[in-house]
Amino acid sequence: MQTLQLSTSLGYSKSHLVCEGNTGSTKGRQTIIFEEVNSNYIVSPDDLVLVTGSSGFIGAKVVEILLEYGFCKLRCFVRPSSQLSRLQKTIARFDGRPIVELVAGDLLSPEDCAKATENVSIIYHLAAGFDKSFAGAFMTSALGTRNLLDAFLKVGKPRRFVNVSSFAVYSNVDLKGYAVLDETCPLENAPQERFDAYGFGKLKQEEVVKQYARGHHLPYVILRPGYVFGPGKRELSGRVGINTFGFFVQINGSNLLPLSFVDNCAEAIVLAGIRPGLEGEVFNIVDDESVSARTFLAAYKNKVSVFSVRIPYGVGYILSLLWEKYAKWSKNQLPPVFNRRRCSAEWKGNRYSNEKLHERLGWQPRVPMKQAMARFLAQFDSGSNQE
Amino acid sequence: MLRIAIVGCGKVADQHVHAIWRIPDCEIVAVCDRELLMAKQLGERIGVAASYSDLEEMLETVRPDVVHITTPPQSHFSLARQCLEFGTHLYLEKPFTITATEAESLIDFVESCGLKITAGHNYLFTLEMLQMRRLIKTGFLGGPPIHLESYWSYELGDTSYVAPMLGNRNHWVRQLPGQLFHNIISHGIAKLAEFLDDELTEIAATAHQSEQLRSLGAQEVMDELRVLIRDKSGTTAFFCFSTQIKGLNQLRVYGPANSITADIITGSLVRNTSRSYKSYLTYFIPPLRNAKEHFRNAQCNIANFLRRRLYQDFGMKELMERFYDSIRTEMAPPIPYREILLTARMMDEIFAQIYPSKTQSSRVKGQQKVAHGAASTLSPPLTVNR
Repeated sequence: MQTLQLSTSLGYSKSHLVCEGNTGSTKGRQTIIFEEVNSNYIVSPDDLVLVTGSSGFIGAKVVEILLEYGFCKLRCFVRPSSQLSRLQKTIARFDGRPIVELVAGDLLSPEDCAKATENVSIIYHLAAGFDKSFAGAFMTSALGTRNLLDAFLKVGKPRRFVNVSSFAVYSNVDLKGYAVLDETCPLENAPQERFDAYGFGKLKQEEVVKQYARGHHLPYVILRPGYVFGPGKRELSGRVGINTFGFFVQINGSNLLPLSFVDNCAEAIVLAGIRPGLEGEVFNIVDDESVSARTFLAAYKNKVSVFSVRIPYGVGYILSLLWEKYAKWSKNQLPPVFNRRRCSAEWKGNRYSNEKLHERLGWQPRVPMKQAMARFLAQFDSGSNQE
Repeated sequence: MLRIAIVGCGKVADQHVHAIWRIPDCEIVAVCDRELLMAKQLGERIGVAASYSDLEEMLETVRPDVVHITTPPQSHFSLARQCLEFGTHLYLEKPFTITATEAESLIDFVESCGLKITAGHNYLFTLEMLQMRRLIKTGFLGGPPIHLESYWSYELGDTSYVAPMLGNRNHWVRQLPGQLFHNIISHGIAKLAEFLDDELTEIAATAHQSEQLRSLGAQEVMDELRVLIRDKSGTTAFFCFSTQIKGLNQLRVYGPANSITADIITGSLVRNTSRSYKSYLTYFIPPLRNAKEHFRNAQCNIANFLRRRLYQDFGMKELMERFYDSIRTEMAPPIPYREILLTARMMDEIFAQIYPSKTQSSRVKGQQKVAHGAASTLSPPLTVNR
């Protein structure tokens, strides 16, 4: 295996990498030996790689890691209205070496998709719609993906399509609390009852990808990240607590969060695009170490002043049931934002497995949890502009 | 049982579905979108198996009584015409059409063939607007309105709508003659149309771009609009659309005796009496009366909540129900056609003034061109002969 030596100021620690200096600190520079793209992968560094959603929280990190891996021909698909500062900073760090092309467009436009996918070998599809309506979520997730796949098969050189989905597609209604949720678990079959437009969009997006695999032999991998956190994303997941009522309500403090630090998540995504023999596979992305919602919120509250109350899972479940019933009785005078399916999916207390990620991708978390939490929380320090 | 079909399966279609579900004796029998996947996703979610991407095929196969068109406005006229020619009644989302000429053509057609049509001006039928109409009927204003004010604020905070539009010159909103205004202001303008005479003698519109929109890279799109209107009988009106004023969505109607403010955001109706008081009582009594008004509104809203009437799309459900009743009973449609046309005419004129290069005004040929932001004295007056 060849190696490429790069200098970086990022605080990565990786068991098989040679690290010098104080990991986790941005003060000292480290010399890290990265794996170079080589014959163990399905593409060469000169192959053209497309990243959609590349200006986003995870997307920009995926671009960064692809560049670190030695890919030198990247195309970044962004919305015309995207804020590009995060991506531009990332690209600037690799100034001069790789070719990074920015393509602004709309996935709902077949012409824009054709421009983006021309001669592309791998697509990392991270673009996500956060529309609150079901139709809007479907449009941005499923229709956009359909257009992208049509174009990829027509004008690209398809080697692999990496579809970044979400944990939101799972249903754990039939799982017991504390049972392990892994890639074999059933998918949500009533996203509308769960009142989860995002999850609905992602489910439909996965369906589109699988249809293209069946009908057009599309080589694909589906990734389902858990709660991706890190510097640059300040808002908390509903799994930690909900602030619908102006203060945090935490349901089931001992609930373990499916955390994935953004650097770790991005590297898993990159590996899923280049490792051989993964066609048609699905991977959950969570870090090795778990943190309970109680611990996470306590750490957050050390940095940000918020009022919170904690209620046990059973109480949360009953309240969700009552809310759901009232929503039905009142014909959606209050929409069913709280319901049993959501309560179960987010707060039931399941555990999560990343065994497949380790075994099939050879993935190891770059940043251990303690360090990940420190970097996440540092963004709330006064005067911090950390991303 | 009225059989209803929905054409256009985007976000607004969901609102229509929920409103229709609240109305007895009607059912959704088909959904149609030129993008079949969109039709299927809606059909799947609402339990309607008949999904189509071809309007003609849908009309031929399903033969609905009423079609709801919830597509982008550029397609309204042609789709509406197709449905009407087939013989279905029509609920056409706002803005009714791109130009007043198109609106006239549709209304001429429905009148000639005995069909019914309505525009999606659902904010005319919110609880407080219904209450206001009842109050006006009792003579509370003391005579016909002297002056009207309609405020419509739209927050850019949620950029999920504006960001794609601003980032894409080809976005359908950018292709409208009145751009952002065109897709939103008809609600506020329609409220004025209810009280204005058919003949307008003056419209003066001025618009500009806010700093916030400029910072989002909006190019030529403007988001602040002010309009002054006068009708033949002398009633004046002021319309304000703003992205910078937060939470202001009101209709104020001033009569010779008293005035009324209908606040759509808080669901309130405030009665302002112009009674005078002796000496310092002027400072004490009116504020207490205002406090009483607000307390009454809170009580009323709580009562409506308990009676399950305080849901988000009450106005839409009410408009639809009244429209369906008009179809069943041969009564007049809930929004008089003259109001739909007057709204379209006013919008035409406003856009002609603020976007002169983008607009082909529907005004009478030979009229003077009006400079950006200048007053237009209409000669002959902007008339709706209905």
